[in-house]
This record gives sequence, structure tokens and C-alpha cells, in this order.
Amino acid sequence: MNVVSSKTAPAPSPSPKRPFFDWRVWTVAIVLLVAVVLSVLLGVKQQAQQGFFGMRMFPLKTAYDFKLNAQNGTEIRLDQLQGKVVLFLFGFTHCANICPTSLTNLADVYQALTPEERKQVQIVFISVDPNRDTSQTLEQYVTSFDPSFLGLTGPKSAIDQTVLAYGGSYEMVAGSTNQPNDYSVNHSAYTYLINPSGKFELLYGNEKLVDVQHMVADIRAVLRERLGSP
Amino acid sequence: MFGRGEAALCPSVKIRLLFAALREIFAFLMSRLFLFALVFLSAPLALADDQLAITVQHPWMRAVPDVMDSTAVYMVLVNTGSIPAELVGGNTAIADSVAPMITTKEGEGLKQVFGMQSVDSLKIPAHGTLVLEPNGNHLMVMGLKEHPKEGDQVDFTIKLEPGDHEIHLKIPVSKKPVK
Repeated sequence: MNVVSSKTAPAPSPSPKRPFFDWRVWTVAIVLLVAVVLSVLLGVKQQAQQGFFGMRMFPLKTAYDFKLNAQNGTEIRLDQLQGKVVLFLFGFTHCANICPTSLTNLADVYQALTPEERKQVQIVFISVDPNRDTSQTLEQYVTSFDPSFLGLTGPKSAIDQTVLAYGGSYEMVAGSTNQPNDYSVNHSAYTYLINPSGKFELLYGNEKLVDVQHMVADIRAVLRERLGSP
Repeated sequence: MFGRGEAALCPSVKIRLLFAALREIFAFLMSRLFLFALVFLSAPLALADDQLAITVQHPWMRAVPDVMDSTAVYMVLVNTGSIPAELVGGNTAIADSVAPMITTKEGEGLKQVFGMQSVDSLKIPAHGTLVLEPNGNHLMVMGLKEHPKEGDQVDFTIKLEPGDHEIHLKIPVSKKPVK
């Protein structure tokens, strides 16, 4: 409106009186306004990025207390690991690409922590293929990535309940031969972080695990959270 | 006759002469176009058999624990030629078979599942690259007879088409990407 009125006013008027709503003033004002809005938006975005690297659950809920088997059939429950930061993921040992990549990255993350921090962190690999993965094979498999890693599996019902509780999914896909043991498993490739109070706090897509620095920063922040809480 | 006018007419005559020359050149080029086309179009046919120009960068085989019966090989294939190529497989003495695989993603959000699928070939576009990397496309090495360890070198052959092309490689074995 004002722009229109300023246009009707004779801009190059010979009189020394300058119109109050000069179009130049408006242009500058609009440019400034856009700049301010953009910087605020960018600032907000940056602030959001300064939070956690993983996707934070909201609200934080008590993590499903899975009950699975470690080596020699020892039963392990998630609750037994309370007080530690637990990072776990689903997979199977015949997986040649995704699982070894994730476990190698997690081993790097674990080794980047201080010895003191490592005592408070447990990385767990849960096999969704109990048919081929005995707890013994699993043990040999996970410890080859890092001796501290825990490999768990169990009866199909216990695995299904666990996968379901964390919103995950998996399915067996038959291979090209008709052999009963020739199949692959399509599975969730997320890593779930359970905080020391037993709450499911952060979620990582498999492509994030390679970023050791940010993963370590998250684990440290979660460990600090506990120290800071009353 | 051209006496005094010559100087005045000179610039426009020059322009006309220039245009005439350009027309001549153009006509000459057009007459040769057929020949040029023939040469350029026949080149790929002549090169197809033995001029597949593929170079391999940063190949590595993942070191895996003895309990695993398969592993993966990763590399970057660069096609410097003008013929599209395809990676169709490979072989190595330490395993039963080698197959190109793609990583599949199905579903959204928490329900998203990853899988892998065997494919007949992976394309390497002309003047393009094919990246085989962790979490992505790879050559799956199945039925391991030996488990090479970190630091070992493995003889490995990759097969490319067209032309039943083979490239023999010595691939380092590593737990982490070899750059």
C-alpha cells in the first residue's frame, strides 16, 4: 500500500522535501527483515542440531525388559544391565554387509571411550535367527568385533516380543537354492540406546554409527545426565 | 570504376566476403559430416570387445570371524571409457561363489527393514563410477573355505560385461575400509 503511494509521489522531485515513505527505505527495511527472519530460523535449526546426534524419544519410556540367552544358555535380562548405557541392535551372523559394518562402527565408538566410561557401557547384538545362530556361535561372532560385546538370542517368541516392543521388524527371505538353511533375513538396522535408568532414550539409523565423535558425545551426555539428575 | 567508392564500400564488402567464406566452410563441413558420423558411430563397435576401460580403486575384503561363512568385497569401479559396463560377478579360490548384491530398504520409520538382494549385474555408466561400500552395494563372497585375517592379501577376479572381461586383483583384507 505504502509502496504504491510512494510510487505516485514524485521521487525525483526538485523540492528538497523528501517523501516520508521512500521506496528505498522500504527496500532496505524488507531486506533487513528477511535477513533477521533467516538468521533466527537458521539459529533455531542449529540449536536443534546441538542436541543429541541420535533421535531422542519423547516422552522417555521405560525400555522393554527383554529376557534372552547369552552363552551357555545364561539368561540375561535388560534390567540386569541397569546403571549402564546399553546400545543394542538386531541382526544375524550370516549377514555379510549391514551387521558387520554396524558392529565394527560400534567397536570403534566403544574403544573411543575412556576405560572408566567403558565400564558403564554395554553393547548388545541380538540375533533374530536362533535357527542358525546358537548362543555359542553368537558369542564367537560378537567378541571378534570387541571382546566386551554381548550376543543374545532366544526362543522365537522371546525374540518376536523384543522386536515388537521396540517397534522393529524382521522377515526371512528364501535364497536361490531350495535348501532349508539357505535364507537371508531382512531386519531393522537401528541401534537402540537405553539410558542408565532403563529408559529407551535414543535411536540411531545404521548410517549414523560411523560418526564415532558424535556417538561418543551422545553416550557421554547420557552418562552425565544420570550424574546430574537428583 | 571503384575509384572513390572503394573506400566507402569496403567494410560491407568485407562482411559479405566473410559470410561467403563461412558458407563455403559450412558447406564443406556438411559434405564431410557423413564421413565424420561414420567414423564416430563405428568407434564404439570397434572398441566394444577389448577396449573396456575400467579401473579399480580401494578394493578390500572384510575380515570376518571364523564362524561366518560369508564376507563382502568393496571397491570403486571407474569407467573411463564411453561404453557402459556391468559388474556381473567374480571368483576367488577361498570361497564357493561371488555375487553382486544390492542393499534393500523397505518400510518407513521404526518398521524399516534392511536386506540384501542378489542381482545379475551392477551397472558402471560410461564415464561414471560404481561404488561398492559398507551398507550399500557389494560383492558377497559366499561359502568361505578360508578366513583370511586382517593384513592378508587375497587373489580375487572380477567379471565385467560386455566382452567377458576379467580383472585380476590382489585385495587387502581388513576390518575397516581401506582408503
